[in-house]
Amino acid sequence: MTVQSKLGFAYAATACGAIAGCRVNETQSAIHPAGPAAAEIAWLWWLMFWAFTAVFFLVLTLLTMAILRRLPQDALPPLGRTGFIVAGGIALPVFVVTPLLILSLRTSAALHLPEDALTIEVRGHMWWWEVRYPDHGIVTANEIRIPAGEPVRLELTSADVIHSFWVPSLNGKRDLIPGLQNTFWIQADQPGRYRGQCAEYCGTQHANMGFHVVALTPNEFRSWIAKRQQPRPPLSGEQQRGAEIFREAGCVKCHTVAGNKAQNEIGPDLTHIGSRDTLGAALIPNTPGNLAGWIANAPALKPGIEMPPTYLPPDDLLALVAYLESLQ
Amino acid sequence: MTRLATKEQRETLSPLELERRYKETWDEPSGFPARLATVDNIRIGVQYMVAAFSFFLIGGILALLMRVQLAVPENTFMGPEVYNRLFTMHGTTMMYLFAVPFQEGMAALLLPFMLGTRDLAFPRLTALSFWTFLFSGLIFYCGFFFDQVADVGWFAYTPLSAPAFAQPVAIDFWLVGLGAAELAGIAAGAELTVSILWLRAPGMSLARLPLYAWAWLATALMIVFAFTTLLVATLLLELDQSVGTQFFNASKGGNHLLWQHLFWFFGHPEVYIIFLPATGVVSMIVSAASGRILGYTWIVAAIILTAFLSFGLWVHHMYTTGLPELSLYFFAGASLVIAIASGTQIFAWIASMWGRRPALVAPLLHVLGFVFIFVLGGLTGVMVAIVPFDWQVHDTYFLVAHFHYVLIGGAVFPILAGAYYWYPALTGRMMSERLGKWSFWCLFIGFNLTFFPMHIMGLLGMPRRVYTYSAALEWSSYNLVASIGAFILGFGFVLFVANVLYSLKRGAKADKNPWGSDSLEWLVPKPPPLALFERIPVVHSRHPLWDGSDLEPENPQSEVERITASMKHRPHDWRATLLVDVLTGRPRGIVRLAGPSYMPLVVAVGIMAATIATIAKAYWVLPIAGLISVVGLVIWLWPSRRELEQMYESELPNDTGLPIVMVGTKSLGWLGMVFLLMVLSWVFATLFYAYFYLRLYSGEWPQDGLSIPNWPLSAIGFGTLLLAGALAFAAWQAFRSDRRWSFRLALAGSFGLAIAFFAFHAWELVGLPFEPQTNAYASIFYIISWTLDVVVFIGAMLAGTAFVRSFLVEKDWPFFLGQHAQLTSLFWGFTAVIAGIVYGVLYLSPIVL
Repeated sequence: MTVQSKLGFAYAATACGAIAGCRVNETQSAIHPAGPAAAEIAWLWWLMFWAFTAVFFLVLTLLTMAILRRLPQDALPPLGRTGFIVAGGIALPVFVVTPLLILSLRTSAALHLPEDALTIEVRGHMWWWEVRYPDHGIVTANEIRIPAGEPVRLELTSADVIHSFWVPSLNGKRDLIPGLQNTFWIQADQPGRYRGQCAEYCGTQHANMGFHVVALTPNEFRSWIAKRQQPRPPLSGEQQRGAEIFREAGCVKCHTVAGNKAQNEIGPDLTHIGSRDTLGAALIPNTPGNLAGWIANAPALKPGIEMPPTYLPPDDLLALVAYLESLQ
Repeated sequence: MTRLATKEQRETLSPLELERRYKETWDEPSGFPARLATVDNIRIGVQYMVAAFSFFLIGGILALLMRVQLAVPENTFMGPEVYNRLFTMHGTTMMYLFAVPFQEGMAALLLPFMLGTRDLAFPRLTALSFWTFLFSGLIFYCGFFFDQVADVGWFAYTPLSAPAFAQPVAIDFWLVGLGAAELAGIAAGAELTVSILWLRAPGMSLARLPLYAWAWLATALMIVFAFTTLLVATLLLELDQSVGTQFFNASKGGNHLLWQHLFWFFGHPEVYIIFLPATGVVSMIVSAASGRILGYTWIVAAIILTAFLSFGLWVHHMYTTGLPELSLYFFAGASLVIAIASGTQIFAWIASMWGRRPALVAPLLHVLGFVFIFVLGGLTGVMVAIVPFDWQVHDTYFLVAHFHYVLIGGAVFPILAGAYYWYPALTGRMMSERLGKWSFWCLFIGFNLTFFPMHIMGLLGMPRRVYTYSAALEWSSYNLVASIGAFILGFGFVLFVANVLYSLKRGAKADKNPWGSDSLEWLVPKPPPLALFERIPVVHSRHPLWDGSDLEPENPQSEVERITASMKHRPHDWRATLLVDVLTGRPRGIVRLAGPSYMPLVVAVGIMAATIATIAKAYWVLPIAGLISVVGLVIWLWPSRRELEQMYESELPNDTGLPIVMVGTKSLGWLGMVFLLMVLSWVFATLFYAYFYLRLYSGEWPQDGLSIPNWPLSAIGFGTLLLAGALAFAAWQAFRSDRRWSFRLALAGSFGLAIAFFAFHAWELVGLPFEPQTNAYASIFYIISWTLDVVVFIGAMLAGTAFVRSFLVEKDWPFFLGQHAQLTSLFWGFTAVIAGIVYGVLYLSPIVL
């Protein structure tokens, strides 16, 4: 094992430590809705929950009554043979399920795609999310910033296999299918961070294909957009050197940074990497230490991914991290 | 033609000698290797069940390993590569190698007893089905030895399973193993349908059919259609892998949703294929435990409704794919109607038990566990059929909970109940009640501990098929409980297996009818002899054992009693049973059943060789494997001279007034052929669906501006098939009027025209401006053409062999050659029609539509 790779493992170990240390509890829950669509569905869930609990206990009660009592030889259940079967087997399901079907039609009518909304393109990759704001020329990954209180329209496609976009507290899920485009929408009522995750099995790292929807107040959102569109501040000396390493060490082969197009866009666009909260598709917090560990040996943190270990000398690695963190 | 010449001097045998010869005829080979030739339904049924249950135990161990991994967050017990393979193999094993095959084995074992027939209709097909199933399972698992295990999930969505992303050899193991398992399933489906409809005790009308047989009748037909669809789907995907076709390559005009449609058109009925026979078991046990079954007709109606509706539900697995919402609601509606069907069965069982205070013995205990678990799973099933709610819980642990409630609750508990219930019929001993109760409570508590928390995990956002999860999400404690429950559940199965083994030698001796059941299987001596039903019982009611406890003839002079009396221990030198009218159960004839043969094993070996060759990409082996199978099949179908002579000279027609059915629409050969044609029609229907589906989602058709093939010229080529069909029909007419040379000439004509078609078709395909690999249009064009070639090949074989046979044995003319001629004519009629449709779809539809 080379010195460099040892170093890589050391960084990776540091990174792992960092994750375990500074973790905040997160929710990704369909029964803690934070947007109108998820709230509609959660309401439907609780309705079904209570109605079906009642049905379940009704059936159990009848079953218990049936087997525990001894009645005369030719005793029939209440309502008689046919009456009992028709009441329980036909009338009961029809009575419970028909209103439910009608209510669910109402729910899905309420979930209709808003005509006129901010459009964001989300493209699934094995195993990360490409996020584009076509109206603003912004490309980022694994983090979708949206204005709170407004519907956002999503155009979903896939670069490779089928994935499924799911932020349970904002809406249900919709598949990203290669060769097709699906439209979907989300809305967060309050500013906050909402975790999401790929829901359709998509290969080795399906488990670690997470992302966040970050809802900002409309003002914050506008200023976030504006900031992305401003010219970049000049790079410091170390950052300059990091930029050179980025080109020379081969990072540029897979990652695009503002204008410098990658040869193969296998990895996420890093133009705004410094402003993102997490690395590796919501795997670890984006801190300089974690970023160094990730660059040194990403497959140790996320086995099976395309990004190779880099074996950079420590100084180069730090310069590269400084450069990347400057990319706001 | 139905009336047979009888031998002048009658052979008189003493009753004892008759019995000895009868038993000899039904005896099965034992010892190695002769045992491999066995075709007996009891032996094959047991082999089937043992093999399938072994796969179940392996699948269960895979599940436990997964539960260890998920017990705590961020576990490093195994990596994603291993975990993803485990869940793929777990699902695949349980669905394809356990749930359906186990129940098929159980049906092969039990149905002849219940129906009062001496064996199933095609005993050698039962054997073929078993061998093919066993080999397919072994091939699946051989992947482990080569480190080539699929990791694409049991529904293997493209493109993850398509050439661009799948590990090539691993997916081959999965696809061809699956293909072979489907063939086994289709064979069993055809076998069971024919047996239930035509081979029954006299007097057993459809209205007196035991509910287990009703459930299997529906299931067997579902298997034929559902498995055939999957067979085509796996074939298309395997062609993408091995030939390089483009069905599932979106950049070449392929379509990923096509796979999902085809898969779930199989996959949804599959769930009911697993569930319906289990409801049959429950009906039998409830009936025995309560001494009555109320709502027989309602249960039958529910079974039939379920079978039909199950084919209209597949899209409810695809709610999140972005299909038009209105279409989703059609499927949601259908999903809810099926709740009525299941509800009806459950309330019929409750009604039957009402006030009867059934004894809470092991079979009934498992049935009650079934009702509890299945009702809960059914209710969550209604929930996930509600479109907006499914958008949340689809592909989450909520769904994992739901389908384990439905499958373990709906099938495994009834299977175990059935095991306790029928064990005495098979072994003459009872299973230990004490161990049974312990096992039940472990299973019931372990099951609910494992799977109930999964509902909550799903609602809290945990997707299925994740090998790890962050401790920051609130899933840890639920996962730990589930993992502990899984081990309790596993221990329950260990106790069950221990009970099965322990009771073999130590179980209490069983009474003649230990549960007070009403059906014929309790009439048979325990353990059952190979020569089943020395005298076939006559059934006078829906509950033969309650109404006439030992089935003494009510009126010994009646025609039916006379028939069964003269068939006691007869025929003694060839195997036969009674054929009855489908509706009324009146005896209509005597049919020969095939005896032991190595040929099913040989054909299965041929199939296995072909599958292994496909995996190893040793395509030169395929023709050899095909030849082995075809030769095996010909020997299998060629009846022995001795047996034929015995049939021709039999006195049974005189004594019983019933014909020995060899020719015509009541013969088993005809019924088998009708099934083959049904399967082939469905293969084409599925291919045409794929054709038009691809077309619907393509901008231009043919894709990429390919030119439409030369339709006027092809009309001439396909015309030869119409002519060949007409000649085959003419041959049959000539046969009926005994014009032997016209018969031979017409057959030769059919054969020659088939060859001419091959020549034309080969020339046409070679000259096409595109290859199968060009795009999805080209791929579907070729695969439909090739499938037609296969059909024409079978037709040519039938005509050719009939031609040769017409010169062989003079005596066969009215009988077996007659059947051959008739089946050839039938098959060619089908070929001509299908050729016409293929021509219409491939050559005319691009112009006309």
